[in-house]
Amino acid sequence: LERGLFFRPKVQLEGFEAVAMPHLTDLYRTACLLLRDRHEAEDLIQDTYLEAWKSFHRFEMGTNCRAWLFKIMFHRLHHVRRRLVKTSRIVTIDDPDGQVELAAEPLVPQEIRDEDVLNALAKVAVEFRDIVLLADVEEFSYKEIADTLRIPLGTVMSRLSRGRKLLRQELAEVARSYGIDPRPKQAGAAETA
Amino acid sequence: MNTLSFDSKRCERIRLQLDSYLSNELLVETATEIVRHLESCEACSRDLESRMRVRDALQRAVAKQPVPDSVRAGVLRKLRESQPRSFTRPSATRWAIGLASIAFILLSLFAANWMSLRRGEQLIASILKLGVSDHLICAIKDHNYPEVANPPDQIRNKLGVRYAVLLQVVQERLPGFEVLEGHICSIPGSNRKYIHFITRGQGTILSVILTERNGASLPKGKFLASAESAGLSIYEDHLSGMEIAGFESAQYFAFVVSDFSQHQVLQVARELAPALNEKLHVTGHILMPSANDGVADSMTPRILTETTRCNEKSRCRVQEQRQNG
Repeated sequence: LERGLFFRPKVQLEGFEAVAMPHLTDLYRTACLLLRDRHEAEDLIQDTYLEAWKSFHRFEMGTNCRAWLFKIMFHRLHHVRRRLVKTSRIVTIDDPDGQVELAAEPLVPQEIRDEDVLNALAKVAVEFRDIVLLADVEEFSYKEIADTLRIPLGTVMSRLSRGRKLLRQELAEVARSYGIDPRPKQAGAAETA
Repeated sequence: MNTLSFDSKRCERIRLQLDSYLSNELLVETATEIVRHLESCEACSRDLESRMRVRDALQRAVAKQPVPDSVRAGVLRKLRESQPRSFTRPSATRWAIGLASIAFILLSLFAANWMSLRRGEQLIASILKLGVSDHLICAIKDHNYPEVANPPDQIRNKLGVRYAVLLQVVQERLPGFEVLEGHICSIPGSNRKYIHFITRGQGTILSVILTERNGASLPKGKFLASAESAGLSIYEDHLSGMEIAGFESAQYFAFVVSDFSQHQVLQVARELAPALNEKLHVTGHILMPSANDGVADSMTPRILTETTRCNEKSRCRVQEQRQNG
């Protein structure tokens, strides 16, 4: 019999809370950015913690609890997204890795406001958004991201590169909307004075 | 005017690795190579700086995202709500353990009592077996009684002055029974002696036997006794085809043995017990003479002991004690 099925003393729940609850903020913020719906994000976090608690007996103390929780959250996120896609509340791209290569390096404004970068991120397809958040905000390693999303390491690298570039492109668009004329970089040589 | 070789193969290769450099995923050698290139390439440096600016902006913006207290409260509530199921199981388990413990204790007590009863029954059987053995050997096998009852005086003479008084008790308490014989006897090979009254009634032989306890005792307990008479517990058993009822009185075990029914033997014992007990307590402890040497009781100097063989075949020795004078 599995240890977790029967004896669940209160002290174990307190132990779980001590280990897992400090990561609630990171998980919730990521969930909000991924789902762009606070209620959906809150439900996702609750489900994530509940599932983590149920399988806490399998968690090895001393290992990376944050990565373990993110893995559980993304596993559940997959189901949430499938439901949301069916209700047309989210749009995914069929072949994210086959997306058209962005030609020039977009020029990012010097000053980036919080709302601008978040709006820009929201416009990035979810497959890239996941990895950009995991790599740049949560600062997980490529291997941890591959493990969390259950995708190959090479896919992590390529999607991160594309995701970052898409984000920069969106920010460049924002700059243009503010009247800033970012000079598009040319594929050829660039001259400087 | 400096012309940056923006399309140079080197810049292209470096820029392909800038994301991994930014994520600190490169080998030290590769990272060092990129640092050296960045030191000499302004375009690539700008590119990296741009990427870093976006990353930092993103980190900053995300970190400022508010996390309502309700989120934490909701998670904790969910976890607590999941607890009843978690607690139910240990609680049920604890109940199960508690009930199992009680059952174990009850079983242990039952087992202990059962063992005690079994030991008691075995002890009773071993004591009652003495009476059955005395009856079977002396009365049944060796037929140490006459067809016509010995005169009471002769029986009293055989019993001696101290035990003679018991004859009257047996006669009075066993109406319908004729006392054929009374003597003090011992089984060959045993120093244990017994006072033996052989009676006949209802067409069969019934023995009343008294023997010294020598410190032994019948187990106490109402569960083990078959009957009670005047505060005396009477024990009954069926051994070697005989029904025997026995009780403890003063320094003696008293047995009633016959092939009657259990009820009849118990009835006789119940009738006999109070009077016999009273006489034995009045008489007190009587030291029986040795079976071998027939030495008179030192406390009864007036008793003459005469040892005779009452039956050659059985070698059962009857000690005829006669009152001197």
